[in-house]
This record gives sequence, structure tokens and C-alpha cells, in this order.
Amino acid sequence: MTRVVRAIALTIVTIVGATSVAGCGAARAVLGVHEAPKANPALASLTVDQAERILTRDFTAAQQGETTTGTAAQKALITAYTGEGLRAAKARVRLAAIQPSAADSPLLAPQKPLLLAVPRGFGYPRVMVAQTVAAAGSLPVLHLLTSPDAATPYRIAASAMMLPSSSVKPFDALRQGSPLVTDGKGLAVSDTALLKAYAETMAFPARPVTAPPFAADAFSSQVRARAAAVAKSVATQAKFSQAHKVVPNSVYAVRQADGGALVFGVIVRTDSFAVKSGQAINTVANKAFVLLSGKRKVTKSASITTLEFVVFSVPRATGRATLVAASEQVVAGSGS
Amino acid sequence: MAVLGFALAALGAWTALKLGPSGEAHFSATSKATGAIVVEPGVLNSLDVPVRIRATRRDGGAVWLATAPAADAGAVLARSAVSTVSGVHYPAGTLDLRVSGAGALHDPSTADIWRISAKGAGSAELLVDQGRGPETAVVTSGDATALTNVTVTLTWAQRPWFFEALAAAVIGAIIAAFALIDVSNSLRRARWTHAVRTRRSRVRT
Repeated sequence: MTRVVRAIALTIVTIVGATSVAGCGAARAVLGVHEAPKANPALASLTVDQAERILTRDFTAAQQGETTTGTAAQKALITAYTGEGLRAAKARVRLAAIQPSAADSPLLAPQKPLLLAVPRGFGYPRVMVAQTVAAAGSLPVLHLLTSPDAATPYRIAASAMMLPSSSVKPFDALRQGSPLVTDGKGLAVSDTALLKAYAETMAFPARPVTAPPFAADAFSSQVRARAAAVAKSVATQAKFSQAHKVVPNSVYAVRQADGGALVFGVIVRTDSFAVKSGQAINTVANKAFVLLSGKRKVTKSASITTLEFVVFSVPRATGRATLVAASEQVVAGSGS
Repeated sequence: MAVLGFALAALGAWTALKLGPSGEAHFSATSKATGAIVVEPGVLNSLDVPVRIRATRRDGGAVWLATAPAADAGAVLARSAVSTVSGVHYPAGTLDLRVSGAGALHDPSTADIWRISAKGAGSAELLVDQGRGPETAVVTSGDATALTNVTVTLTWAQRPWFFEALAAAVIGAIIAAFALIDVSNSLRRARWTHAVRTRRSRVRT
């Protein structure tokens, strides 16, 4: 009996002794204390809850900013939009009296926004992609929300209405997030080269572009047709030209699950009228121009600035990009 | 051995009493310095169990606390004046506070980096779950107003800790009991041996 008792006691003492020798390390192990985990760059930097809260905040502010007036409305616009998105929203509000009501704006969605993509990793800038549908039966609108740094909230930087019969390929799971493509690698065409080529193609008078990296689309056809019509209508009084230029730092490519990317970009279109000597053009018919420039008649020159928000689906490796969404907004006008 | 057993039993019992049946360990510290209070990932994410953070202001003012990825929180805090919780002490139940930086902190609550947040008047509480680390918790007034004289309490609750402490107490008691039995047997055997020897020596003489 004594031997058995001693053996048991010795075993327990050995265990306790070993634990004591290991000291704090063993205690930490018993308690489960460990080093802080390393950041995982393969995960989304926002949870779905966070992203949905951001969308709700921004779209609520957008709605408020575009349907009310005064200081609160201005503040709401600044809360909702940034960059060219803000410039377009301010112009929409300013032109609300002569354009369709801001409350009916297709860019505003009374329904819950659909979250398509959240940012992956911890670098900046970070972007989110969302989709809204203003009303049943209307075309969906794609939105790009950006955050340039940790201290700056996400805001709507670009919104464009989807073209009929277009679709957006799926992104990676929201938990994983979707990375930005910053160098165009792995894409059939880099995002910046695509936007630059697209802008050049829409110039008026037209410039020949060989082997464009994008498929023909209705939006650019309409823009070119309108430009030709305007040039023809003012031919006796003025020389008309139209230039398209990509807005710097407005192009973002978000990687999709199939390796392709959804590319957002903003192009600024400038309609220029060089009035012929001795001519005077009555601009009253163009209400937007009158409101923005304050000019009812021009005798030397005039220009109208329009922002074009475009969204392309760019395939991986080979093929041509396809325009999936586009919207435009007149933002400025001047004349003399 | 008996002493060791008693010591283990006492330590286990004391720890079990201190943790309580819910197995809660509380640690707190009061920051007198002006500025935000920060709980580093080395503390916040050191266990795979949720940690409850409670911040209380003596003056009853607004308290805002939130957690964000460590890199993002660091970028927002930049070089502002902060008191960082860099270590915990058990069983003292205290926290190490390290003061660093200078300058006012701009209202961080407007940033979109915060995964979860809470605010309140006088105090606020947040339960931080694990699995999204490394994260940093930040306590501020929720605006640009400087924060001072704030008590921060971190609580980890793990019911198995209570049972482990209880088990240590029982093991200690068993060791002590076996050791006492052994000592008792040894003494009896010694007495018996001594008695036999004494009898034999009497027979020889």
C-alpha cells in the first residue's frame, strides 16, 4: 500500500513540478494566452455589417442632399459624395428646376442598396461596389464608393446606370473581399489604357482609332451622333468640337471572381463652340447652359462641361472590354 | 509534499473563489493623462475568448469606444496623445498604461474603420469577439474633446478557468492527503521497528 501511495504521489508531484518548472509559459498555455494574430491580407477589410451600415448612411444622405435644400442638404451631399460624384450631384441639384426632379433621379434608390464588393486587404485606397434600383422595372445603377485613407469615410465617387442587356460578373465572396487591380496585370487591357482609348474614340471631329480594346456600345454611339447633330445645327454660326479626357485618379479596377475586373472611370467632356465672326448665338433654348453660365447670348465662344461616368467589364488575359454602365451629367458652362 | 499539496489546494481554492463560477478575470487601470486610451492587439487578442471593455469617466461626460484593425487604428491615432494598455497583471488585476504621443486627437468616430463601437454618458461597454485580429480598441470622448481621468476595465470570462482552479484545489488536497497518510504510515512503521528492535535487544541480554 505504501509503495502504491508513494508512486501516485510521485507522479502527481512530477506533473506539478514540471508545470512549476515551465512556470509562466505553462500557465499561459493552460489559459490559452498567445501572441496577437498577424493581419490577414487575404480577407476583407470591412465586415458585411460595416459595409451595409456605410451604404445606408451614404445613400440616405444622398437622398436627403438631392431632395432638400439649405445648409443641411449641402452637408448631406458632402457626407454622401466625393470627387466627381460630388460635382455631378451638386450640378444635378442646381439643375433640378430644369431637369427631371432630383427626387426621381435614377441615381437615388429608395430600396436597399445591394452590396456587390467590399475591399480586400489593408492598403489604401479602398473601394466598395454597390447596386441600386430606383424603381421596379428601371435599370440598375452601379456605384463606386471610395475611401482614400483610414481617417476618411467611404463616399460615392461614381454612379452609372447599367445599359440594357448588360450584366456584372460576380465578385469574390464578401467575407474575402475583392482586391483592386492597380497595375492592370492579368487583364486583357489595363484600366487606364482602356479609359484613355475610350475617351479618344469619342472625340469630335472623330479621330481614327485602330483596334480599340473595347466593343462598340450604344452610349458612345449616341454621344458621337449628338455631337455630329450639334455641329451640323450650329455650322453656319460656330465651329463645334468635342474633347473627352479621363479625370486623373478617377479610374478603379476591382477584380472579379473569374479573374477579370469591373473598371470604373470618369471622363470629362468639353463641348466647345467657336463663334464665327459677326455671329451671335441665342442660347435660351439650352436651359442648362443659361443656368450654369448666366449667358443668354454668346458672340465669341462657349463651352459646356459634362461628366461621363462609365463602367467596363474587362476580361482576364484576352478579349475586349464591354461597357456595362454609363451616365452623364452637365456640370458647368461658360460663354462670352 | 504535504506542504506542496496544501499550497496547491489553497491557491486553487483562492483562484476559484476569485474567478467565481462564471470564470471572470477583471483587470483595470485609471488613466490620469489627457488623451485617448488604446488597448493593443497584444492584450485584446491574446486569448481566443471575447473580452469585455468598460470605460468610465469620473466627470460623467461622453465616452465612445470602438475596435478597428490595428493598422487602421494606428493610422487614425497617428501621433496623438494616448495611454496604451500594454500588459495585464494577475492576480493583482491591474493593467499597465504607457503614455505616448502629444497633441489632440481629431474626432476618430467619423472614420469607417471601426468594426464595432459603443457610446454612452459617463460610461460605455463593448464586447469584443475574436477572429478578426489584430485589432486595437480605442476609448475617446467621441469628438475632439480631450479625455482624462478614465477608468478602463477589461474582463475575460471563461468558465473552464473556474473548473481548472477547482481541479487544482482538489489535486492539491489529494496530494496533501496522500502525503499525510504516507507520513502517518512511516511514523507507525518507525515506531513498530523501534519496538521490535528494543524487544530483541532485551531478549539477547
